[in-house]
Amino acid sequence: MESYIHWEVFSFSQKITNRIVEAYIGEYASGKSEMAINRALELKNQGRQVTLVDLDTVEPFYTLRILKKDLEQMGIDVISFAREDAFGLGETGAMLNPRARWALMHEGDIILDIGYGVQGAKTLNLVEGAYESPDLLIVAVINGTRPMTDSLEKTKEYLIDLGRVDAVVLNTHLGDKSTPEIIIEGNNVIQVAARELGIPIAYLAIDENLRDAVPAAENDIPTKYIKRYMPGAIW
Amino acid sequence: MLRIIGEPKKSFVTGNETAAWACLAAGADMMFGYPITPQNEIMHYWTRLAPKYRRGFLQTEDELSAGFTVCGSVQSGKKAFTATAGPGNVLMQEPFGMAEAMRLPLLAIIQQRGGPSSGTVVYSQQEVTLTTFGGNGEGMRIVYSTATHQEIYDYIIKGFNTAWKYRFPVFILGDGYQAKMREPLEMYDPEDKGIEMIKPFPLIGLEGHIGAGREPQHLCNIYSLEEELYEVVMKVAAEYESIKDIIVEYDEKNCDDADIIVVSHGVVSRAADDAVKILRAQGIKAGYFRPITLRPYPHKQLRAAIAKSGAKKLLIAESAYGQLDKLTKQEIFGETVKIENLFMPGVGIIDYDIINKVKSVL
Repeated sequence: MESYIHWEVFSFSQKITNRIVEAYIGEYASGKSEMAINRALELKNQGRQVTLVDLDTVEPFYTLRILKKDLEQMGIDVISFAREDAFGLGETGAMLNPRARWALMHEGDIILDIGYGVQGAKTLNLVEGAYESPDLLIVAVINGTRPMTDSLEKTKEYLIDLGRVDAVVLNTHLGDKSTPEIIIEGNNVIQVAARELGIPIAYLAIDENLRDAVPAAENDIPTKYIKRYMPGAIW
Repeated sequence: MLRIIGEPKKSFVTGNETAAWACLAAGADMMFGYPITPQNEIMHYWTRLAPKYRRGFLQTEDELSAGFTVCGSVQSGKKAFTATAGPGNVLMQEPFGMAEAMRLPLLAIIQQRGGPSSGTVVYSQQEVTLTTFGGNGEGMRIVYSTATHQEIYDYIIKGFNTAWKYRFPVFILGDGYQAKMREPLEMYDPEDKGIEMIKPFPLIGLEGHIGAGREPQHLCNIYSLEEELYEVVMKVAAEYESIKDIIVEYDEKNCDDADIIVVSHGVVSRAADDAVKILRAQGIKAGYFRPITLRPYPHKQLRAAIAKSGAKKLLIAESAYGQLDKLTKQEIFGETVKIENLFMPGVGIIDYDIINKVKSVL
């Protein structure tokens, strides 16, 4: 079997305040929403107050919408469009949710799920105070089975195109068809790409159903076993 | 041909991305398009990929132009395609009609959205009538209704060959859910699967002189007299009828002894497949029938399924208000099996919806 390679890990402790503000960016289907949901629930389970913000301004119809109520029942605030918020503009109107614009005014931790892949973190300019926030971390989620990030060169090119990236999440998987080999091989490539660009690794994400099949990282890269919520949405 | 994929490999992708890669692997030279949700990422990915593989893209001023530029491009011998949805599909019916009239090997990917009019950007199966019989002609088209990313990939590759072999416009009918869903896909170069891609050829500007070595190439979409048009339409209709049995595709499960057959297409057939399995486990004799080609429709195969099962009922389930229902009824005219409906226009259908409906009508 493949084995992990390891470099330095991003430290979540270099923060000025105690507040956590993280924006998850990446390709379509890279796992942004899944990481954002899992992170929000992780913080909630630590007893923290969390707001999860769905910031897909282009197509807010395909994102967290269907999971909103379930997530709220789990105790996190979710800013996302729902049936009762829809007012019939379709794609002809700008769909910036006012609550998303002012999300950083909320108390507690803020987890932003930045939709519509290729634009990276650019959408953050719509969130009041985002770039001025000393707490903001921009986290790129990379899946090594995505055609645009399935080789070292492509992953580097993609990370450069994204602009500001503070840390990378290793999230190689193939949905229900994931194997340990695919996960480890893909994540190793992403690690090399991040290393060559000088971007720290945030953590390694593995489907909790593969806990026994895929070993945790051996050194100080945190391994997070995540629960997949997005299959609960139709897309 | 240049190998695009290399070793076949599994990728985790959206349906729109699948479509762009499939067109690339199929050797498409050129895409013409105009943005509309939910097909936008076909254009996005094509425009990211095309320069790397020396392929072309033009965003036209509207869907009419996108359709007509595809019509022009294929005449020059380029393997060209477009993608659209909803109101864009309505506008493209005029160029699609031209492709029927002039027998142009056009390929269009349709990702259905809600209707009528701009409807929703999200999802529906409400473009069945439009895609099969839109335009002011006789529906001389081939329509593949896909259900998975693998099918989007496979049928785009097949669709280009169908278009260039038979010279009828070919449609890959997906929907907003398939466009946005993420699932594993095996991408491959057609040659690695033993699929020989038909090389595109020019339809105009041909070698040689008319009358001395070759016949004139008449690519007409207008005629002076009724009789001229009649002759052409009847000839095209006869050619279409003659290839129907070769083109038609369907999927059928558990129909041998079924009391009720669930008829569905596209992404809804995934729910129907699950529903039938669950119903069978509960001792209810349900069957599954799915037309993969909506045009031509597998009417012989559906009639045979009804006959061999002795099913008392068909349940036609669709995310539209009766478009597959209408299509199916006209194709199996004369059958006496009772037809029930589950119409959920513009919203998704899950196994639970079908199970409940089956139980309520049996």
